[in-house]
Amino acid sequence: MNMSTANSALRAEGVSVWFGERKVLEDVNLLFPNNKVTALIGPSGCGKSTFIRTLNRMHELIPGAGLAGSIYLDGEDIYGESVDAVNVRIKVGMVFQKPNPFPTMSIKDNILSGLRLSGRKIQNAEELVETSLRRASIWNEVKDRLNDQALSLSGGQQQRLCIARSLAMNPEVLLMDEPCSALDPGSTRRIEETIIELSQSMTIVIVTHNMQQAQRVSTQTAFFLAEDNTPGGVVEFGLTEQIFNGPVDQRTNDYVNGHFG
Amino acid sequence: MSESLQDSIKPWLRASKSLRPMILLVSIIPLPAVMISAYLLKIDPTMSFLTIFFPIQALGAAIIGYRAYGKRGIGDALLVVIVTFLSIFVMVMLLSVLWSVIFQGFQAMSFTFLSQNNVYVSTTTSLEYGGVGHAILGTLLVVAITTLLALPLGIAIAIYLTQSQSKVRGLVRTLTQAISGLPSVVAGLFILSVIAIDPLFQRSGLAGSLALFPLMLPTIARVAEEALKLVPVDLRYAALALGAPNYRVFFQVILPAAKSGLITALLLGLARVVGETAPLILTLNANNGTNWNPFEGGLATLPTYIYGYLGSNYTNSQSRAWGAALILLILVGILFGLARILSRSKSLKSKAKK
Repeated sequence: MNMSTANSALRAEGVSVWFGERKVLEDVNLLFPNNKVTALIGPSGCGKSTFIRTLNRMHELIPGAGLAGSIYLDGEDIYGESVDAVNVRIKVGMVFQKPNPFPTMSIKDNILSGLRLSGRKIQNAEELVETSLRRASIWNEVKDRLNDQALSLSGGQQQRLCIARSLAMNPEVLLMDEPCSALDPGSTRRIEETIIELSQSMTIVIVTHNMQQAQRVSTQTAFFLAEDNTPGGVVEFGLTEQIFNGPVDQRTNDYVNGHFG
Repeated sequence: MSESLQDSIKPWLRASKSLRPMILLVSIIPLPAVMISAYLLKIDPTMSFLTIFFPIQALGAAIIGYRAYGKRGIGDALLVVIVTFLSIFVMVMLLSVLWSVIFQGFQAMSFTFLSQNNVYVSTTTSLEYGGVGHAILGTLLVVAITTLLALPLGIAIAIYLTQSQSKVRGLVRTLTQAISGLPSVVAGLFILSVIAIDPLFQRSGLAGSLALFPLMLPTIARVAEEALKLVPVDLRYAALALGAPNYRVFFQVILPAAKSGLITALLLGLARVVGETAPLILTLNANNGTNWNPFEGGLATLPTYIYGYLGSNYTNSQSRAWGAALILLILVGILFGLARILSRSKSLKSKAKK
């Protein structure tokens, strides 16, 4: 791959991960270029969700977690001694597998929750709510009931609300951990459209089990695999088209063509 | 008409319908048996329900169950009979306690009984004079101070137990549970011994509150811990992923989500101490007058008032004790009602908006 480090917002170097004594990821090296979508694919249990959580320091919240290697955001190691995890998470937003809007807040308050929770002043609340909801393409569905409870929305709408909530923080990088796995095809399509639109202004990393989805939204793809009783790792990493149409590694070929996993 | 329609669209009820006459029969047959045994054998009616009514009904239910569903029917039928019998048993006990308090306490009830204090009241004074106003005030003062002390600390313990990953948690949890096993009279004795040693620390409302404190604390801590545990970890992660520091995650996301559970913790804590008598007898001087100062002087409370009058041989005094017991019950009822309204108000508002 001919991508220089200079235009990469995010870069993982030699990342290994442990849970207690068990090593689950070994020596992951990945580049995430600015304003591009990177898909992480691989069978369940290969460590891709674990890896994505290391990118905004959510990994360390799990008891027994361990990590070696470095992750650079704008040239600075986010695991550096003087770096505050809270600041990393403000710059690197995350959308989870299961929609998790705050149940005690209204739709509007959910959008503003990120700013309130990180203790920042809110200027032009109305405007911020509208632009965030528009960017997550859910504005038209909720504009007349911004004060309703977030849980009154459908699952697909809740997930887009969660995306909007992350966008309100204006992150540089957005991490998505199987954001469509609990959604119907219609909601999935709308979220994919949102992802493509967002990628014009931010770097996106998405974990997905859906091969078609990876092909539709991403420009580059990393294939993770954990073979029997060994830590997971990246088998192949390259442009999405190459991974799906002409993979170098036989195992990648088998996986993307549905022979295992 | 609508009822038969309701029945006709519930085909699963058809089988049990055909059993109804037999179930009715089994329910009725034991009754005359109980009456006859009570009359002829002079068995106490209450006992005969246990020794005659219950076995006959269980046997009858088992036979019906066997005829309808074979062997598995026996188990099902016995379970239904036992569960029904026991729940009625508990219900009857509860209602009879409530009934005796309401019935006997009602005689003393009047506005003067609620508002006046116990000064110039002797064992034979007519019920028209004197009351428990001073004791209501005392109970409210003592319980309020106890709550002020125990609620923040109890919730703090619950937060520590649920939010931290410290290894000392097990020890803290065990110790908190150990306190809940503390007999209330021992808590009172401890404070009493402090009073005996320290000349500056006197028997007062505050001493009473301190004696109640270790009784309320573990209840609140325990229930609050369960309430906080019920908040999905997803929410915590969602908030942390937005770049929130821990304390904001707790106050703005977890606490609101656990609100109704925490109010339940407070309620159970209140219920635990509001009727406590022994620690208050040991740490509080009785007082017939009204005292607004919980830090000095004697203070009457409803439990100690009841304790003082219930042993009396005079009807009027006993009526006063029952009246005070009724007021204590009503007080607990009001506290519970208030807390329920507080914990519900928000969700109701949001529903009203729709």
